[in-house]
Amino acid sequence: MVLKHKLFWSVLVASLISIMAFVAPKQVKAAEQQPTYTIGTDVTFAPFEFANAKNKYVGIDIDLMKAIAKKENFKVVIKPVGFNAAVQAVEADQMDAVIAGMSITPERKKVLAMSDPYYKSGVVMAVKKDSNIKSLKDLKGKRIAVKTGTSSADYANSIKKKYGFSVVTFDDSNNVYQDVTTGNSVACFEDQPVMQYGIATGLKLKIVTKPALSGYYGIAVAKKSKAALLPKINAGIKALKADGTYDKIVAKYLGNGTIASQKKKNAATQDSDHSFIGLLKSNWGTLMGGLGETLILTIVAIITATIIGILIGLLGVVPNKFAQGTATTFIYIFRGLPLLVLALFIYTGIPSLTGTKIPAFVAGIITLTLNEGAYTAAFVKGGIGAVNVGQMEAARSLGLPWGKAMRRVILPQGIKIMIPSFINQFIITLKDTSILSVIGLLELTQTGKIIIARNMEGFKIWTMVALIYLIIITVLTWLSNWVQKKINA
Amino acid sequence: MTTTRVEMKDVHKQYGSNDVIKGVDLQVQDNEVVVLIGPSGAGKSTVLRMMNGLETTTSGEIIIDGQDIAHAGVNIDKVRKNIGMVFQHFNLFPNMSVLDNITLAPVELGMQSKADAETTGRELLETVGLSEKADAKPASLSGGQKQRVAIARALAMQPDIMLFDEPTSALDPEMVGDVLEVMRKLAKGGMTMVIVTHEMGFAREVADRVVFFGDGKILEQGTPEQIFDHPQHERLQSFLSKVMNA
Repeated sequence: MVLKHKLFWSVLVASLISIMAFVAPKQVKAAEQQPTYTIGTDVTFAPFEFANAKNKYVGIDIDLMKAIAKKENFKVVIKPVGFNAAVQAVEADQMDAVIAGMSITPERKKVLAMSDPYYKSGVVMAVKKDSNIKSLKDLKGKRIAVKTGTSSADYANSIKKKYGFSVVTFDDSNNVYQDVTTGNSVACFEDQPVMQYGIATGLKLKIVTKPALSGYYGIAVAKKSKAALLPKINAGIKALKADGTYDKIVAKYLGNGTIASQKKKNAATQDSDHSFIGLLKSNWGTLMGGLGETLILTIVAIITATIIGILIGLLGVVPNKFAQGTATTFIYIFRGLPLLVLALFIYTGIPSLTGTKIPAFVAGIITLTLNEGAYTAAFVKGGIGAVNVGQMEAARSLGLPWGKAMRRVILPQGIKIMIPSFINQFIITLKDTSILSVIGLLELTQTGKIIIARNMEGFKIWTMVALIYLIIITVLTWLSNWVQKKINA
Repeated sequence: MTTTRVEMKDVHKQYGSNDVIKGVDLQVQDNEVVVLIGPSGAGKSTVLRMMNGLETTTSGEIIIDGQDIAHAGVNIDKVRKNIGMVFQHFNLFPNMSVLDNITLAPVELGMQSKADAETTGRELLETVGLSEKADAKPASLSGGQKQRVAIARALAMQPDIMLFDEPTSALDPEMVGDVLEVMRKLAKGGMTMVIVTHEMGFAREVADRVVFFGDGKILEQGTPEQIFDHPQHERLQSFLSKVMNA
C-alpha cells in the first residue's frame, strides 16, 4: 500500500492516540530491562495486516515486527489504528513507529525516519476471469478502478493519456474489486501482493501484467525514537533476511508466489466456512462488538442531540430577535451540512485550527449532536408553534410570565405533538452513526468493512450488517411506540 | 366616589398602512359593566384585548389603575394579575385537570399555597355550578362547561376587572344560558366588567353602559335604554335592525 500523506487527513484518530499516550508509559514501567515500543499499523491491508477469523491482527508486517523485536531484544505493542492515524501518530511522536506496507518515498523521508527496505512491491493490473483484456493496450476507451491515494492510482493517472482509458477511484479496496467483477470497470490496478491475496481469497479476477512501478516498503520511525529504535530495526531486518526467517514469514502469507499456494496459506487465517451461516458464526463476536459501539454512539448522541435540540428549539420561540436568529442560524448551518462533511470537518478540521486533538468518539458525538440536534431543534420549534396561540394568550392573561407559561402550558402540549418526530429522529440517528466509520470509529459499518477486507465476501457481510441494523431499528421503533403509548395514556 | 379602572385616550392601531383602531377614547369605572357591541371587524375585540396588553397599540394611552400599559418597560404580568380574561374559545389547558387549570396561576405566582388554591378552586367551581368536574379533563366537558371553568380560572386570580371576548359565540344555543347566568351573578356582585358580545338581550339586562363600535371608532355610547330604544347614529340603527330581526 502506498497511501500518500494527505493534507485532508492532516490530523488523526486522536482518541486512540490519547489512549496510547495514556497506556504507553505504564507499559514502559512494566517492562523491566527491555524497552517497549508502540507500533502503529493499518486495519485493512491483507496480507500485510488484517484481522483473522479470530479477530486477531496478523499478517506479514505484524509477524515481521514481532520477529525484529525478538531478535533485537525489545518489546512491541502493535496498535492497528488505521494507516493515516498511525502515520499521524508517528509524526506527532505519539507512537514510536509505523509498519503498514508503507512505500519509501522522498516525500516521506523528509518528515519521517525510514528504515531499510524490507519488501519489494509493484503495481499489477487485474481483470475479470473471463475478460479478454490482456495488456494496457486493450484499455483504450475503457474505464479502470483504483483505490484513492495509492501508488496504483498515481500509476493509472500517469499512463491514462497514453493508453486512452479513464479512471474511477474508490476509498475501499473491496469496492475497487467489486467494480471490476460487476463489469462497471474493465480492470483495476493494485499492489501485487494485495491483489494476489484477494484473488486467493476468492475474488473472480486474474492478474494480467507484470509488476510495474516497483517500490520498496519500509518502516517509519518517529523522531524521538530514531536514535534508539531505527538501528535496531535495520539490524533486525538484515538479520532476519540472512537467517531465512523473513522468507518464512512472507511464504506463510503469500506461499511461493503462485495463487494456488497462497490459497493454501490463506486457510490458516481465513474463515474456514464461507457459507452465510459459517461467516455469521465466525464473525459474530466482531459484528457484535461493532454493534455495541454503534449502540453506545446512538444512545449518547440521542441524549446530547435531544438536549441541544430542545434548547435551540426553545431559543427559536423566545420572543427575542437575537435568540430566534441564533436558533435559525444553527438549524440552517447544521441541517444544511452533509453529515459526512461535518464529521470530517470536526475531526480533522477543528484540530488543525485549534491544535487540540479530538478523540474520534468525541468528534463523532459532536457531529451527531450538531446534525441531529439541528433537526430536533427544527421540529421542537415547529411543535411549539403548532400549539394553539390561544393557549399562550390564556396563560399570559393569567399573569404568568412567558417562561412559566411555556414550561407549564405550551411545552407539555408541544411535546405530545413532537413525539413521532422524536422517534423518527432516534431511528435516523442510529442509521447516521454508520457515517462515522469515515473517521475510523469501529462501529457496525466499519466492522463490516474490516471483515470484508479479510474475506472479500462483500455481499454476505453487508447482508448481515443490513439485517443487524434492521433488527435494531425494529426494536427501537417498537420501544418508542411503547413509550408513546405510555405517555398518551 | 368612583375610581377609573380603565382609561383609553386617543388609541390608534395600524397593521402596516391599514388603520384598525382610529382614535378610541373610553373609560370604565369601578363596578361598572360596559358592553361593547358592533359589527364584525369594527374593532371591539381588538380594543378589549388592548386592555390587558394582548394587542399592541400604535399610539395613545391605555391607563389601567393609574398606569399606562401602552408604554415599553411596564411589567405587564403584574398588570394582568388584576385583569381576568375570558376568551371565545375558552383556551382551557388540555394537559391539566379542571382544578389544575384554576390553581395553576395562583400557585405558580406564589399567591396561594397549593392547598389553599385548591380550596378556593373548588369554591369557584361551586359558584359556576361545576363542583363535580374538578378532576375531569377539559376535553370531557361541553362548551358551556368549559367556558364556566374558564371564568372560574380567571376569577381565581381575584382580579378587579374581568374582560369577556365574545364568551358565548362558540357555544351551542342551549349552553349560552348557563354562562350568562354566571356572568350575571358576577355583575350583581359588583365586578368591573368589559364584555364584547352579540347577545343584545343580555347586554340590555346587565350593562350599565353600552358602547357601539363601527369602523375602528366608537360611534355612540350610552345606557342600554338610550342605545337600544333611542339609537341616534344611522349605523347603530341599521345594525340593531339587522341583529334584532335575525
